[in-house]
Amino acid sequence: MLAYIGRRISIAILILFGSTFITYNLQAYAGDPLAELRQSTEQNKQFLIDQLTKQLNLDVPPPARYFMWLQGILGVFTGNADLGMTRNKLPVIDQVVAAIPTTVRLVTVSTVLAIVLGITFGVLSAIRQYSRLDYSLTFVSFFLFSLPIFWVAVLLKEYMAIRFNDFLVNPVVDHIWAGGTAIVLAFVLAGFVGGSRRRVFATFGVGFLIFFGAFEAMSATLWLKDPSIGIIAIGVFGIGIAFGLTHVFTGLSNKKALGAAFTSVGFSLGMYYPFQQLAKGDTNYMVFTALAITMLVVSYFIGYFFTKIDKGPVIRVAMLTAFFTSLLTVIDRVMQTWKPYTELGAVAGRPIQTQGPVNILLKSNDFWINNLDLFTHILLPTTALTLISFAGYLRFSRGSVLEVLSMDYIRTARAKGVTEREVILRHALRNAMIPLTTLIAFDIAGILGGALITESVFGWRGMGSLSIEAIQNQDLNLLMGTFSITAFLAVMATLAADLIYSALDPRIRIRK
Amino acid sequence: MAINFKKKNNSEEPVELNEAGNEAAGTRGMSQGQIIRRRFFQHKPAVAGLVFMILFTIFVYSASGIHLGTSDNPFSIQGWWPYTITTVSDFSACGSGCPSAAHPFGQDSIGRDYFALVTRGAEISLMVMVVIGGLGGLIGTVIGAVSGFFGGIIDAVMMRITDFVITIPSILIGAVIGYRVGNLGVLPLAVFLGIFAWTGLTRLVRGEFLSLREREFVDAARVAGASNSRIIFKHILPNSVGVIIVSVTLLLSGSILTETGLSYIGFGVQDPDVSLGLLINKYQDSFNFAPWLFWWPGVIIIAIALSINFIGDGLRDAFDPRQRRRIKKKDFLTTSAK
Repeated sequence: MLAYIGRRISIAILILFGSTFITYNLQAYAGDPLAELRQSTEQNKQFLIDQLTKQLNLDVPPPARYFMWLQGILGVFTGNADLGMTRNKLPVIDQVVAAIPTTVRLVTVSTVLAIVLGITFGVLSAIRQYSRLDYSLTFVSFFLFSLPIFWVAVLLKEYMAIRFNDFLVNPVVDHIWAGGTAIVLAFVLAGFVGGSRRRVFATFGVGFLIFFGAFEAMSATLWLKDPSIGIIAIGVFGIGIAFGLTHVFTGLSNKKALGAAFTSVGFSLGMYYPFQQLAKGDTNYMVFTALAITMLVVSYFIGYFFTKIDKGPVIRVAMLTAFFTSLLTVIDRVMQTWKPYTELGAVAGRPIQTQGPVNILLKSNDFWINNLDLFTHILLPTTALTLISFAGYLRFSRGSVLEVLSMDYIRTARAKGVTEREVILRHALRNAMIPLTTLIAFDIAGILGGALITESVFGWRGMGSLSIEAIQNQDLNLLMGTFSITAFLAVMATLAADLIYSALDPRIRIRK
Repeated sequence: MAINFKKKNNSEEPVELNEAGNEAAGTRGMSQGQIIRRRFFQHKPAVAGLVFMILFTIFVYSASGIHLGTSDNPFSIQGWWPYTITTVSDFSACGSGCPSAAHPFGQDSIGRDYFALVTRGAEISLMVMVVIGGLGGLIGTVIGAVSGFFGGIIDAVMMRITDFVITIPSILIGAVIGYRVGNLGVLPLAVFLGIFAWTGLTRLVRGEFLSLREREFVDAARVAGASNSRIIFKHILPNSVGVIIVSVTLLLSGSILTETGLSYIGFGVQDPDVSLGLLINKYQDSFNFAPWLFWWPGVIIIAIALSINFIGDGLRDAFDPRQRRRIKKKDFLTTSAK
């Protein structure tokens, strides 16, 4: 095994050498870094050209210049890697290090969302194969597959940001819109619940009343100006979440799981007021993380002590319930900052932003205001990215689950009387997720590559827009800085995917 | 065959199902090709996609004509649409060039007919898509087939070459072509993008060949004295054609998005050529005062990609023998009654 990994790593180094060499020369031949200067009319033109030539070693032919660059980057083994200078005489390494957190923040959120949502809907679509829900999800996923992201980005900017901000001035939905939207939402809800015709109609009716009522109440109280959930509503939602999760993971007949879920809700509600005290504006990520870990540990033990047999699913239900209820508490806390945030001079009543990762005019020390600012900036690009990559996960996990469900061992499990829930959760899902590891490994490696188009459309200075800028300005060292990191991760992802695959699936063995 | 197919499609007669839920009697006496064709034509969205693509391609190419060659040395046949992408005409109905009878898609800011621009853009995007899909499909199939069939050291080398090609970013290829050979037109761009677009397909074809080469029919062919190339092309390839066709359609719909995306950020099709991505880039700011300039290219990209995705889905259903057909309750009742 070690020998295999060693061999693969040495091959990976060779591949990296080859691909950086090719990229370096491609880019060197793709443009003339002096083109702009040659056409300038300045007096000291020749001097500037000579200076840049000397600075970037342009008198050395590109294949040889590559080895000068390589010599610098190999310094990584002696502890002082030199990625060279950009055209503007800034160290490349600083540029890249500044771009990485921006990119990671943007792409991680959307990747995680796309994975979670895609797998959930994909599994749902597969276990209800050929239902109306399955057909609708198939259509939606094909539609999302076909969307050009730059086009969606413009639409999102217009409708989710500019018009929504205009709407916020007087957030009153008129009755026709409220009714229409409620019908659509109730229709979607009924589709997800499914079941007999009577149940579908009942869900539709109840859903319509709830949504319509919610819209009317939101208009009447101008809720969007100063939104909040409040402890009572959190309690109601929490009970709903507890029932829902218990139904999905163990079935409502499992009283232990239901009890554990309710205890988690109670615990989260009990934390509501202490949380308001602990997480004031001067809080920081340390306190926040500590609170989150406490919540998870406590809910783990709630699940652990609630039952003696088959602890796994009960613990899962307890932890997830506590997680979602606490999430509501946090959302409620963020909502409390919404009104002060929109009234700030730097925001001026237009909270949803279309450009850049943060509001640079905003000078606040308030933890919640800063986080809300991050949220209002990340909302649009994340929506665009999630929409695009969600479809891939949905199709892939649907196919994978269907493949597994047609296996003989699933038939065996059903034949010996295992309930459908257990068949899917315990027998099918685990095996169906194995092929997804490859996809996930590549996507996670792709995070640092950034999203070329999205970053440039939304004005985020991350790895993607840095690469575009480097190509446009013929800034060879800068491009190689971003590219070598991306290529390194791509090669490592292939290796990691192969290793994880063989570790998870005993049928696949690496040939020694 | 045609009569048989027609009869089956129109009649409400339930398809007889065997134990596994596959069609049995309905397909008796039909060749594999006929069964696949019939299954494909039963997939309504796929047929709709196919019809749309055929009509749309004919429409676009006949409207804007055929334009080959370079900008310095053009070769073109005019289509039936009176305006070209360079004719500037007066604003007809209203000042900002909104859609009218003479210009159904409106006019751009300098008065060029937008219908001509969009059809030419669609023509170029379609051409790039087909070249990328064709080249990528060809290279991917050959490399995947060879490495899956021979395995061992050949497989290892081929797969590492694939890893190598994955790391080369397509944006860079666009940049190189744009700068070095930009005046050759869009064909070189399409060819070079195609040369680097085969990696995903290769992995799938290789996987298929890895499992098929262990099957009995391959052993039988070998015992009968078939050469390696005969086994690859006559025995295994026809069995994996489903996987290949489906992934080529995915490659096609992916490559129209790649091309328009590259053109959008300025590394794909360059002026004076037109591409749908380039049009969106140019007119994205006119969303509020001239929305038709923004909507049309996007809608056409989505329509093309969506149709191809549905065709691919229909082909997957048609080629996959393990696919279980939908069993309706009444069908089930008639079968059990027999």
